[in-house]
Amino acid sequence: MVGEPDRSFSFRGRPRSARDGETLLSALSTDRIPLLHRSIQYHRPQGPLCGIGHCTGCLVRVNGRPNVRACRYEPAPGDAVTIENAWPSPTWDLLGAIGLIKPGGVDSLHGLRRPALATRLYQRFVRRLAGTGTAPTEAGSQALSAPSVERSTEVVVIGAGGAGRAVAASLVARGVRPVVLERGLHPPPVDGAELLGATTAVFLPPPAESGERRFTLLAFREPAQGVRIDARWVVVATGGYDASLLFGGNDRPGVVTADAALSLATPPRPPPFRRAVVVGGGRRAAEVLETCGDAVEAVVAPGEIRPDVVRAASDRGILLYPRSLLLRADGRKHVRSVRLCARSGGTKTTIACDAVILAHRRVPHAQLFFQVGATTEWRSGVGAYGPTVTANGATSVPGLFAIGSVAGFSPSEFALHAEVVTDAVVRGTGPAGPAPSPAAGEAPTELLGYYRELLRVPGHGRWVACPCVDVLVGEVERAVRFGYRGIEVIKRYSSLGSGICQGRYCLPDALLLLSILEGRTPPEVGYITQRPPVVPTPLAALASLPARSAVEGVPP
Amino acid sequence: MTFARDSYRTVVVGAGIVGLFTAYHLARAGGGPILVVDRGFLSSGASGRNGGGVRQQWEARGTVRLARESVQAYRRFGVEFGFNIWFRQSGYLFLAENDAELARLRNVHTLVASEGLPSRVLDADGVARLVDGIAPGATVGGTYLESDGTLYPFPALWGVYEAVRSLGVEVALGVEVLGVEARDGRVAGVLTSKGPVGTSTVVNAAGGWSGDLSRRAGLEVPNVATRHEILATEALKPFLDPMVVRASDGLYFSQSMRGEIIGGLALPHPPGSSGGARSSPAFLTAMARALVGLLPRLGSVGVLRAWSGLYDDTPDGFPVIGEDPRLPGFVHGNGLGGHGFMLAPATSRRIALAALGQPTDLDPAQFSPKRFLAPSPVAAVERLQLG
Repeated sequence: MVGEPDRSFSFRGRPRSARDGETLLSALSTDRIPLLHRSIQYHRPQGPLCGIGHCTGCLVRVNGRPNVRACRYEPAPGDAVTIENAWPSPTWDLLGAIGLIKPGGVDSLHGLRRPALATRLYQRFVRRLAGTGTAPTEAGSQALSAPSVERSTEVVVIGAGGAGRAVAASLVARGVRPVVLERGLHPPPVDGAELLGATTAVFLPPPAESGERRFTLLAFREPAQGVRIDARWVVVATGGYDASLLFGGNDRPGVVTADAALSLATPPRPPPFRRAVVVGGGRRAAEVLETCGDAVEAVVAPGEIRPDVVRAASDRGILLYPRSLLLRADGRKHVRSVRLCARSGGTKTTIACDAVILAHRRVPHAQLFFQVGATTEWRSGVGAYGPTVTANGATSVPGLFAIGSVAGFSPSEFALHAEVVTDAVVRGTGPAGPAPSPAAGEAPTELLGYYRELLRVPGHGRWVACPCVDVLVGEVERAVRFGYRGIEVIKRYSSLGSGICQGRYCLPDALLLLSILEGRTPPEVGYITQRPPVVPTPLAALASLPARSAVEGVPP
Repeated sequence: MTFARDSYRTVVVGAGIVGLFTAYHLARAGGGPILVVDRGFLSSGASGRNGGGVRQQWEARGTVRLARESVQAYRRFGVEFGFNIWFRQSGYLFLAENDAELARLRNVHTLVASEGLPSRVLDADGVARLVDGIAPGATVGGTYLESDGTLYPFPALWGVYEAVRSLGVEVALGVEVLGVEARDGRVAGVLTSKGPVGTSTVVNAAGGWSGDLSRRAGLEVPNVATRHEILATEALKPFLDPMVVRASDGLYFSQSMRGEIIGGLALPHPPGSSGGARSSPAFLTAMARALVGLLPRLGSVGVLRAWSGLYDDTPDGFPVIGEDPRLPGFVHGNGLGGHGFMLAPATSRRIALAALGQPTDLDPAQFSPKRFLAPSPVAAVERLQLG
């Protein structure tokens, strides 16, 4: 897939090159994970975290187009890539002084509020600091215009990972030609199906209630092509993602999820780290060790470490720290060490490292189920919500099925489950009996117990609860102390979860945090309404979809 | 949870900005004990879903005056309530696409200017100076009033919420009013999902649900709940100062203090509160076409989230303020269309007066609930229900 380095582009005025099929982030990660960005409010050095196009850490400007995710963009020859939200550079950013002056956080709710000249000037100053990139140039936006894609089909499968491919293949074998959407930039073809790669499903409203039941799905194809699909059946196989974790410096450059680490460690490139600390002792940690174990220094797990991880680690001389609290990642512009503490107040340890790989829990990509109004349930093992499914993959919305890890199944069950789902779709049957209990969570992390201990660590109030908007843990605690309750209200009070990832990374942690602070279970704390679109969708992509008067006159 | 008392002097239904402000004025006038109930959480209704615009450009003098008073109140808000609402007075710009629309806006300008507000009429070049990158030929001109502006709705809500609580007002969230009890032809109490409460006065400040509440009290009212949608984009460095409103289709957008473009568009949604807080593909695509058509440079900007809320519309576009003559003790503080937040400070003061049984300075022909009871000629209509 990845070819010779033959794509020459400029990065901050200097020539660089990328291989064919390589992302910009990968091309810039030559020896270590790069610092490309400063956080939005305090201008802290902020690294690429997710590697799958959600977080703020790799936003750059390309050819006059702001907020381009370097991890989702393949440089074209001649591209001009610059940085945003830092002056003069991400390494030395004068605005970093804001965070130094106000280490406990700027109180935007109660600060300067008299209708005086000083307030006007302050307001003007603060407004200047807003936003990440400057507005696009007209040329930058118009370069994106592309004709839209519209399809009317029987079945659309969302996601072409293991489960999505299995169900698509099974449908093809039964004579159904599904449309398959895959967010990955270069998915291998699915024989007999129409595969749209680099395409993200962003909005699945409830199906029209009158007449024949059909779904209308909005999606977009990189960089800005609008996609609209009508389908009778929708099979969601969106899988999951590696969650973030609360600790000091949790968005320092060098802290990455396993998703990012695995995508950056793709041969022939060596991984952009030499001495990583892997957080987690379950299946995902095993995958990281398998792919880039030679560049791992230690495995730190909130709970026990699985025997296969222990074996893989001891083969390579990797240190093991089971039942440990990760307190902080140190290093100003790049992670240089992590500080640990054995659970329940044990001894503290410092490990020198150049990356922290978060592989402790995987959370389902369940946004589409919330949008469509399907019943969801709290999965305490992973500490997140997922769709409620029956044994044949049916959800509470007729015509909507879930398969794979988003539905709580483990990879060994995908093939069998694909047959069952296909059978239900082809025969048009409704829900079957209850699903076998979903695959148990990975390592038994006793999530709430772990977070309870974290909240006793001195100085945790200055940790970052929401990296996209720079909300500190202390601000969330303050909101609860002032009597605001429930995640919907805390979100609006603190702005937590309203940034570019729309809470994908901060919400799973915030739910646990609030559950402890409010003294009730996470489901009682609530869940932020999952608002469309699932990922930021260029206006040009939406605008390219022609009006359908029949639909637009009577929206669902 | 039950309530702290068996009965209250006043029960305000709706803990949105109108209900809370009304409770605030009532409490300050010594009208307690007061209970505010809301079926959702704080900010769950339109007060947590609006775009934060505050304008004084209207087609009827009564609305202009309420709006002007509200602007003054929001300027003082930080001092009075201790919260910074980031009220930024950088203007509302109304755009005309043709001469007929410009003539209509000129009339607005004449009225607004006669109330002492320095509104201006702009030609296409004047508009282009305010909106960097506007598509050539997109407009023939418009009107602009710099003292209009935008604010951040949430801190305003927190500010009034904390103020009423410190004044001893009880706020019960997650409590739905199921009915209003009448005795001897006047209000005697309300029946809630948490049990009955005695009161002699009910204030209906339920926004999009106010029509439902009146009907539960046995009162037929012409309020219609209509779903309106809105979206926010990724945050950009500031490039747009005013709130921009297009007269033809109601497209409106501004750039928030955080840098997001926040805006909406009037779509012909079917009336009713049943659609919930959903968004529609039709809105996303129509809004994107309108925005990119007007400001082509926005094409590559990502839409971050979309949501919707309920307008509480009346046939003549004026709020309904005052006691309902059919049920003494039942006071209306509703019908503010999509402009409850911007008009709340001024209207709430008068709703509180009405709840205390005191006269207000409002023209009854325009604002009283009586105007819908007798088949009388319509006094005036406020049609500038945009943005």
